Amino acid sequence: MAITRVLVANRGEIALRVIKACRALGIESVLAVSAADRESLPAKEADRVVCIGPARAADSYLKVEALIAAALGTGSDAIHPGYGFLAERPELARACEQNKVQFIGPRPESILKMGNKLLAREIVRGYGIPIIPGSEKVHSFQEGLQIAKEIGLPILIKAAAGGGGRGIKIVTENGELQGAFETAAAEARAAFGDETLYIERYIPNARHIEVQVLGDRFGNVIHAGERDCSLQRRHQKVIEEAPAYSISDALREEIRAAGVIIAKNMKYENAGTVEFILDQDQERFYFLEMNTRIQVEHPVTEAITGIDLVQEQIRIANGHALTLSQSQVQFSGHAIECRITAESAKDGFRPCPGQITRWQPSSGADIRVDSHGYAGYTVPPFYDSLLAKLIVRGENRVKTVARMQEALASFVVSGIETTIPFLRLLVCQLDYIKGNVNTKWLEKFLATSSLLELGAE
Amino acid sequence: MDLTEDDVLEILNLIEKSSFDFLQLQMGDLKLVVSKGGYMGSAPVAVFSDPQPAAGPAVASEPAPKAREAEVKTQAEQPQPKAKAVVRDGTVPINAPMVGTFYITPEPGAPPFVEVGGNIDEDTTVGLIEVMKVFNAIRSGVRGVVEEICVQSGQFVEYGQTIMLVKPRGKG
Repeated sequence: MAITRVLVANRGEIALRVIKACRALGIESVLAVSAADRESLPAKEADRVVCIGPARAADSYLKVEALIAAALGTGSDAIHPGYGFLAERPELARACEQNKVQFIGPRPESILKMGNKLLAREIVRGYGIPIIPGSEKVHSFQEGLQIAKEIGLPILIKAAAGGGGRGIKIVTENGELQGAFETAAAEARAAFGDETLYIERYIPNARHIEVQVLGDRFGNVIHAGERDCSLQRRHQKVIEEAPAYSISDALREEIRAAGVIIAKNMKYENAGTVEFILDQDQERFYFLEMNTRIQVEHPVTEAITGIDLVQEQIRIANGHALTLSQSQVQFSGHAIECRITAESAKDGFRPCPGQITRWQPSSGADIRVDSHGYAGYTVPPFYDSLLAKLIVRGENRVKTVARMQEALASFVVSGIETTIPFLRLLVCQLDYIKGNVNTKWLEKFLATSSLLELGAE
Repeated sequence: MDLTEDDVLEILNLIEKSSFDFLQLQMGDLKLVVSKGGYMGSAPVAVFSDPQPAAGPAVASEPAPKAREAEVKTQAEQPQPKAKAVVRDGTVPINAPMVGTFYITPEPGAPPFVEVGGNIDEDTTVGLIEVMKVFNAIRSGVRGVVEEICVQSGQFVEYGQTIMLVKPRGKG
């Protein structure tokens, strides 16, 4: 069954990205919109638009029944979930199966397995891939002491029920262990009503490196290289690059191979990303999690490989074999992506919805802007603040950083505040240019810098 | 002469020890702004005052073959009624509260819930919308006389699409 019409179950820049991929493949696109997105740029670009519910995502973009009804009602034979919303919810993939609509993504079992972080860890450990040494659940100090001895200091103690940094303690010396354990348990009890803790090896100087994989129905699996996403704020990626910088080629190959082993063993179908934590001091890497969808930062991989990952997703879902074999995947140059969000960096990254009065994206050779913004567009207050992705490519990393500085300088958005002024500051930091960063670097930089001078346009 | 990436990194290492908050390097055709303090210089952006590109289209990635669009639109086999909320003076619309398939009868062959000219009140069920095999009763929400039924039974309706128009009537 060939896909002829795709329901795009997302909004913003990724909806636009999917619509363009459909158009390039000669496939019609139907965009599912909430009542707040009827006038959006993807709504103007899609072949047809279907309103699936009110502005609130829970009543529209997160409603499986509404999306299936919209797909069936418009004669769409496939659904592309984009990222976020229902992309990694097995319910949508399963509902597609039951209603004979092709889900453009992995099989529901793959989503389910990798969605459960503990299960994913066990599965991946079974494939012989290193996971961060640590325990399942710890209920007493005695138990904790035993585990700390096994995995060695420093360790990180965190609430099993946790999140948001509460109940997290880092222990670097034996003498601190009991006190840290007891406070963490008390905090966990107070915050979550559950004093169960996890203990794992703490990696103070870590990088976030992820491998892009592609698998087809015939068991072929390839990687399209790795990305470095170490610059994060509150676990949100801010700048992503490909390939990963300041690591040896031997380590790079090992990480890529690990990504392929995981995808191959799972018989993974479609595009996916295997995330690893690299311990820069030990030169060792550990499996973190697998994302069973297209990722926000996929364009940096496209920029250095020439592969159109979204078109490849649709081809795979259509039952085709991978277009390229591993040896045909060629890497050329360096690429950087900056995420531009509608937020005020100087005001604690407060979201800034509102109307864009001036919109002048960067343009030029080796510059790509993926965005749903335009002059006159009103950024609604209901959704994620991602407004644009600015991607530049160059022959090496330093030249690419220089090009990114120029591209950010020429990107003008007025009417609302965006993170452009903040990104301009970020990409000229000496440490960043040298590649001397880790996953804590951006938070440290924010804590010690004065962002108050960052003006709006 | 073009500097290699290693040359540039070497230069950065040399200047790292010197005291500066902010400087601009120009090496061949490579222009690089470097900051150490986390402060933005007074007008660093001005260095790159290239001729501003004209405000272009919002997205500058792959060029889209625009010509295909019209072709696709005419190919679509189903007629595409513009699903809109209908506004007409003197009437109140009943809009679809969800996306799905609209039915005017409780089951095939049965008489319709309402007909044009029929009297309804706020709690009258005016039809059903089926979403994944679940049938949802659509409550009128208005008291009056059905002026027009805007969609056909069995038709796919969008959220917010007008199903019928009602001429409102006061109480009693």
